[in-house]
Amino acid sequence: MFYKLLAALDRKVKFPEAQAHCDIPCGIYDPIVAQINALTVVRMLDLMADLDATTGDKLAYHNSMSRYIAVKEEHAEKAKHEIRVIFGDYIKAPHVEKYPELPTLVHKIMMAGSKVRQSTDRAAAVEFVELINKFAQIFWETKGISTKRAKAPYKPELELVYPNL
Amino acid sequence: MCRLLKVHGDSLIPDYQEGDFVLVSKIPFLFASPRPGQVIAFHMPPYGTLIKRVEQVLEGGHSFFVAGTHPLSVDSRQFGPVSRQALLGRVVWHIPKPG
Repeated sequence: MFYKLLAALDRKVKFPEAQAHCDIPCGIYDPIVAQINALTVVRMLDLMADLDATTGDKLAYHNSMSRYIAVKEEHAEKAKHEIRVIFGDYIKAPHVEKYPELPTLVHKIMMAGSKVRQSTDRAAAVEFVELINKFAQIFWETKGISTKRAKAPYKPELELVYPNL
Repeated sequence: MCRLLKVHGDSLIPDYQEGDFVLVSKIPFLFASPRPGQVIAFHMPPYGTLIKRVEQVLEGGHSFFVAGTHPLSVDSRQFGPVSRQALLGRVVWHIPKPG
């Protein structure tokens, strides 16, 4: 009876929640997965640009091109997914209070991720990497860990934000 | 000194389940420190308000290790001890969800 009464009141006034939080420990959150996915998008665009349609057989050309496009699509979506998970599961209200630009930044990443899927604009893909770098920098700051920028040790060798561990 | 909270999550199953209500109060802590086994609510940034079981009392009652019953509970193993200042109270009335 008490429960029914409280449940009815809860529907009206929404009692605060006490989290009996149960999850994989938050230490597994790491934006590097999104960063590498975004970097892969740039790499696929470079491979697409380098693919010569005038030599070799057409079948091989179409096979390679369609594979590059598929990987570009997949990794752009994976990058968006990783950012959504960190933003939804790790980022809490105090983080947003400290970094009020976060929601706008995440929205920009979502938009940029869609743009790189729709287009072959390399500059847009580089911007996608940069936006995720910015997210990574804030993410590590929330953990009190400083960051550095360094060239990724693989093509397309763009700069990524890494934690100083 | 008292507040009503709704339990969200499974880290204290089977004793406390998603949707249960708990009345927590600071009044018991005016007379005694939390003891192992007691269920407490506390504030823990960035997680917000959490409910866990006291596992170990440290520093003469100034801080506590807390734990859940679920193996994947997020508790003192991740965020360390809980200070006395962070306490919202002890569960003094548990109203479980029927069924």
